[in-house]
This record gives sequence, structure tokens and C-alpha cells, in this order.
Amino acid sequence: MPALAPPPTVRAACAHCGDACPDEPVRLAGRPELPFCCPGCRAVYELLDAHHLCRYYALGDEHPGQKIAAVELPGRFDYLDADSVQTQLLSFRSATLARLTLQLPQMHCASCIYLLENLHRLDAGVREARVNFLRREISLSYHPGETSLKAVVQLLASLGYEPQISLAELGAQPPRGSRRLYYQLGLAGFCFGNVMLLAFPDYLAVTGELAAAFGHFFGYLSLALALPVLLFSAQGFYRAAWAGLRQGSINLDFPISLGLTALFTVSVFDILTHRGPGYLDSFTGLVFFMLIGRWVQQRTHDALRFDRDFTSYFPVAVTLLTPAGEQSVSVKELRVGQRIRVRNQEVIPADAMLMRGRGQIDYSFVTGESAPVSRGAGELVYAGGRQLGEAVELEVVREVAQGYLTQLWNNPAFQKAEKQTLETYANKVGRYFVAATLLIAAGAILYWYPRDQALMWRAFTSVLVIACPCALSLATPFALGSALTVFGRRHFFLKNAAVAETLGRATTIVFDKTGTLTDVQRSAVDYRGPVLTRQEQQAVAALVAQSTHPLSQRLARELPAGALPVTQFEEVPGQGLRGVVGGVVVKAGSAAFVGADTAAAAADTSAASLAQGLPPGQLIGQPATTDHLQSRVYVSLGDDLHGCFVLRNVYRDELPAVLADLGRRYRLAVLSGDNDAEQDRLRQLFGPQAELRFRQQPQDKLDYVAGLKRRGETVIMVGDGLNDAGALQQADAGIALTDTLTNFSPACDAILDARSFGRLGTFLRFSQDCLQVVLATFVVSFVYNGIGLGLAVQGRFTPIVSAILMPVSSLSVILFATLLVRLAAFKRNL
Amino acid sequence: MEIIFGLITISLCVAVLFLLAFVWAVRSHQYDDTYTPAVRVLFEEQEENAQPRGQR
Repeated sequence: MPALAPPPTVRAACAHCGDACPDEPVRLAGRPELPFCCPGCRAVYELLDAHHLCRYYALGDEHPGQKIAAVELPGRFDYLDADSVQTQLLSFRSATLARLTLQLPQMHCASCIYLLENLHRLDAGVREARVNFLRREISLSYHPGETSLKAVVQLLASLGYEPQISLAELGAQPPRGSRRLYYQLGLAGFCFGNVMLLAFPDYLAVTGELAAAFGHFFGYLSLALALPVLLFSAQGFYRAAWAGLRQGSINLDFPISLGLTALFTVSVFDILTHRGPGYLDSFTGLVFFMLIGRWVQQRTHDALRFDRDFTSYFPVAVTLLTPAGEQSVSVKELRVGQRIRVRNQEVIPADAMLMRGRGQIDYSFVTGESAPVSRGAGELVYAGGRQLGEAVELEVVREVAQGYLTQLWNNPAFQKAEKQTLETYANKVGRYFVAATLLIAAGAILYWYPRDQALMWRAFTSVLVIACPCALSLATPFALGSALTVFGRRHFFLKNAAVAETLGRATTIVFDKTGTLTDVQRSAVDYRGPVLTRQEQQAVAALVAQSTHPLSQRLARELPAGALPVTQFEEVPGQGLRGVVGGVVVKAGSAAFVGADTAAAAADTSAASLAQGLPPGQLIGQPATTDHLQSRVYVSLGDDLHGCFVLRNVYRDELPAVLADLGRRYRLAVLSGDNDAEQDRLRQLFGPQAELRFRQQPQDKLDYVAGLKRRGETVIMVGDGLNDAGALQQADAGIALTDTLTNFSPACDAILDARSFGRLGTFLRFSQDCLQVVLATFVVSFVYNGIGLGLAVQGRFTPIVSAILMPVSSLSVILFATLLVRLAAFKRNL
Repeated sequence: MEIIFGLITISLCVAVLFLLAFVWAVRSHQYDDTYTPAVRVLFEEQEENAQPRGQR
């Protein structure tokens, strides 16, 4: 069957967004040389041009503009006028000034910063706009008398930067990264530098005379400088060690704390009794280096949220229908029995009964079903679905918190504040380290006690000092920290370094189907029937471009674009579209609507009845008949039926290669919310061993992963929607796959950009490499510890040896770990 | 040699000033966003119709 003809000519790129323009580009009266793809883009250009902001197009990316969505809903931002919403959003409010911070995930280049910081030129009421690019945030202050919150948000939306305002962000102040670590690091660095200078005279024999005269002074001064390091900078290590002990486990922070305490105590003793200069330079240096390690570990991807739950997905406000008219209320205030109106593309906030209108509800994000379902008056609709098409009236039957979707979050898996990760190698090693050190220290005492008591104490304390696993504690953060950077470059964003370690130790990978294995953005379009001429194709394209139904939009993307005018356009919900293009009546929709023969229609009805996923309900006349991977749109031009377009969801191109690679090394499984229509295909892709499960509720997915974990497997879950949220949370490492990074993705440990899906196998191999690097680095630091111990048990571990050994070991471990990881990345071509 | 006491005290005071400068820099949000200011500084000079504006 012939697919659609490829576009014959190279199309001009839109001057605003860079998308391909239709054959007849939209033009701007004043600047006829510039092509635009749609009136929306032209409007933005016109606006910027009028305010002399066209530098926007000269900075950063070649085409920085955002494609402007054609659908503009009246009153969409009305809820921003509500006082209750404003109090929650604004961080400061007075008669002359209001201030707030908004999330603009669309921000992507220098041009965006330029335009957004010049917002005052577009709206005189805006006083100041400051962008934090890394967090994708804008801080706005405006004069409430001259403009309003709604006007500002509308302006941003019209420019293509619609702020993300959701239930979760309401009231919650944007999380600020803790500055404490910076202070701790700064203080430790300051003290380290000064203590080291003061210690110099002692190390240089030539200044012996000087040392005698000033030794005490320098000693006390060093002590004064080291004290704040112990009390403030080193706090984190003691806290972590104590937290570990209280949970009955010994982590790596325990030997660190032990070493630091020994180091400081010995130094204080030495200085106060005038025995020597102490080890305070080593002490401050250690804390400084280890804090750098902490800092590397803590750096995460600012703009990404890893902890979103359903509230981020829900709208802030809904349109409440009262006898007095429409009213915008916060979703939280919604009560059972209230009537609400949900418009095209809006999310249904609570389980509700459909009262008026025809629901065309896309549950793909919530359940994993790929096709929208149709609901008529009197039927139940569930929270989380997205209404497509006309506005509908609903009556709330359950409050938001008790909804079918939200109940998943009552599962204990979500209650744990911090999900328990696998025990890291560092902690495991740390435990043996403590045991070994204490043994050696005891051995030193036993050996020296009968021979030399003074030397005995020296040897004992030296062992404790050298046992501080400073280099060991630096190995993991630096190796895995540079691994995070490598992953980030390839659009794979990990929540923290521990996730990299978990990935490297995984044994089982579980996939979701819809949206994860399949690419919801694309569909393969086959055409069946007499061949359409190019003009006929354009006529159909013009018709379907008028509709917001997902099938129409997909079809519009596949057909050659044209700007033919459509008259007498009519959309019959659940049936199809009708319109007049170039004097010919064009129809597109279900077989019955278009007038296809009854045999075809009968076949389609049986296909349609296949679909099911959510609790009760039935399919009523889809606009085009749907089974789960196949949708048909019949078209007719004039009076004769022409044929039908068959749209199939397609698996991601890289899938066979990825699975072939992973199948050899891991146990694989698929959990699908869909029906089993694709079983054979998946079996072929995944091989005979893989476990395939269909019609899985979110709870089933969670239970399945929990079962695997009980059997001792280390599980990676790859999913995309809210229906996978439970399983993502339960798994040792949950990877959320997303097509647009800044869109909503459920709570997870890592976010993978769909473009990099093909590299999944390489990513996992690389994380295994990184684990080996960590182990190799451990060996290196053990060598240093061994040298130190050798000197310590003989009582020859002096301050100067310590002052050399500590920094050298720390720095070389940092270098070694970083370089080896980079080398591994280079070899893996990452 | 008593001058050493004085010199050390003075040098420490200078170092403390730097420490305070660092604390001030952290407090005044300079470590919150390490990317945008680098881009922002490029815009100001090139404004086509610079308007008189208050302190930014």
C-alpha cells in the first residue's frame, strides 16, 4: 500500500519558530520577505518588531521562537484574578508592588533570557523581570494598578512561554538550594590556608630558632582557626555518622568522624602540652577536601523536578458553575455535588459524572491506554483524563483527594520520605574499614605496651588518624559525579550519584508499553483505497487541521500542508468532520459518518469493542474506529468514498537494537495498561524469556515490581505516565522517559529524554564501568592508607608526613577517579 | 622579631576580610545562579533604544 507522497519541495523555515512553512507561507505586511508558518508566529514577530525587540532573533539559537498553539481558550487564566489564588502565588504584595516567581519550562537559549528580561517594554506595568536560567524561573515584579497577574501571564503565554502553574506549586515557595555547604566550604578553605601557613615554620628545619620563639603562639592561633572548622564545617560528617548509628548501621561517615576526632584531640593535646605543632593543617585540609566531595555529590539538575506527584499534573483552578454564573475556584475547594465545566485540553480534576456534552477523554497518561475514550451524559469520568473537543459539564462525585487516581498515592511506597536505596559500596567498605582499623590500633597497643609506653600512645593515635578514610570518601562522589555530567550531556538526568551505582548493579529491567516502547508523537499512516491526488490530499489536510481531535492532528501532520480555506466546517463529536474545500464537500471520520459500506463498518465496530483499561464504562462511537494500535479515518470527497487512512502507533525506531542488547544481559519484562493485541509483536521483540503482562492497573505494576525485589532482584523500571508512578517509586531505580524534558514526569530517580532511548544499553554498561572505577579508586586509597599505617604502627607518623600524605592522597584520588570515568565515557562513545 | 606578631595579626585580618566578602557573595544570591548573569551582561550594551531605567 502506498504511503503518503513525500513533500516535493524543501519548505521555507518559519522566521519565528523555524518549523516548515506551508506552501503558501503566511506573510507580514511590513516585512514581505519573512515567511511564517502560522498567524500565531506572525503575531509574535509583529509584537516584538513593534517594540524593537527583534534582537531576540539574533541571539542564541537560530530560530528561538516557540510555535504558538492555535487553540486559545477564552477565560483560561481567569482563575488568576481570584484573590485566593493570588495570595498563594505572590511572594510580596502591596498597593504599588507585587512580586512572584514563575516556572517557564520552555526557556531554552540566550534569546529567551533577552526577551523575558525585557518584558517591561511589552507591558509597562512590569517593573522588573529577572531570569534564573538554570532553574527555568522568572522573578517578576509589577505594579498591580497598571497591570494584573492575569495580563502578565497572558502576555507570557502569547509569546510562547506559558508558565507552569499547578496545584503542587501553589503555596509552596520555590525550593532554594541550601547555602550552608557554601559557608562550610568557604570557612574550611580559609582556615586550611591559614593553618597551613602557620605550620610551615615547623616543617622547615632552618627556622628552628623561630619555631622555638613563636611555636606556642602559632599553635594557639592554629587551634583558634581549627575550632570553627570542627564545630561548623565538619558538622555534616558527625550528623551523618550519628544518623547511621541510630539506624544500627555503620556508614562511611563513622570512620571519617572517628579519624577527625582523633586528629583534633591529638593536636589539642600536643599543642597544650607543648609537645609539637599537631596535625591541625591535615585536619582542616581533610575537612576542606571532603566538603568538596560533598559539593560535587550535591550538584543536581536544577531545572528538573524528580519528586513530582499527581498534584503537579492537576490544574490549579476549575470553572465552577453556580446559579450566579461561572466562577473560578481552586481545585482544593471542590466539593461533592458541585458542577464544573471542563474545556478542550483541560484536565479533569476529580472523579465526576458527565452531565452535558460529549466526553472525548484521553487517559493515556493515567492508565497507559493509547486511544481516547468516548463518554456520554450520565457516565462516570475519572480524574486525570484530558478532555478533547467540546466543553463538557461535570458533577463532582468524589473529592480530589479520594479520587481513583489519587488513591495510588496512599500506598506505603509513597509514604517513605526517603526511599531506601541499595547499600552503597562505600558504606559496605566503610564497615570493614572500621573493624580493620580498630584491630590494628589494638595490635599496636599490644605490641608497644611492654616496649615503650610513650610510643604506644603515639602509634595508637596515629593509626586512628590515618584510618580517616578521606581518599575513600572522595572516590565515589568524584567518579559518579563525573558520570552524572557524562549522562547529562546525553540527555539522561540522574537524581543523584547513588542512582548511577544502582543502575550499574541492576539485574532486571521492566518496561511500560504506551509512551515508553511506543512513540506517541508519531504514527505510521497507511492509506487504503484509490490513490489521492496531491490536491485531494491538501483538501483533506485543510479539513483535519481545523479539528483538535488527536487523530485529526496526527493526520494533519502527515499530510502535505496547505492553506486552503475551509467553509461550512462542522465537527460532529464522536462522528467526524465535514467541510467545503475548494467547492467540494470533504468528510473525514468514522465509516458510518462518511458512508463507507456496512461490511467495513461492522468490522470496525468489533475492533472498537476490544478496548478497555479503566474501570467500568463502555466505548461509544469513536470518531474514527479504534483498536489500540490501529485507528482508521475514512475520507470522502464530493459524493464518492475515497478510502481510509490507517494510523498505527509505532514502536520507537531504536527499540529492536536496544532490546537485543539488553536481552542478553538482563531479565526483561513488559507491564502494559493496554490490552494484549500486541502480544505477538512484543514476544518477537522481547524474546521467549521475557515476562509480558497486559491490562495492568497502576497497583498491579507496583506489586509486580515489589515481588521482583522480594526475590532479590535489583529492578530498573522504565515508564512515562502517572500509571507507572507507583512502579517507578517501588523500583530500585525508576527511569521516567519523556519527550519534552520540562513536561510533567512522575516522581522518579532518573529522567531520560526519548531522543536518547537508543543509548539505554550503553548507559547501563557505562554505569557498570563507573562502579569498576570506584572499586579501582578504593584500591588506590587503600595503598595510601597502607603506607600511612605502616608508618603509624612503627610510631613514625609525624605531622609532616601527615601534611604531605593527606593532600597527595586526596588529590590523586580525585584525579584518578575523574580521568578514569572520562576515559570510560570516551570508550563507550558517550 | 616581635614585629611577626603584628604582621601575622594584620595578615589574618586581611584574610578575614576576604572570608567576609565570600559570605557576602553567597548571601547576595551570587551562587544561586551561575549561568544567567554571564549571558545578561552581553545584552545591556547592545540595546537599540536604551531607556533610562532604575537600578536593576
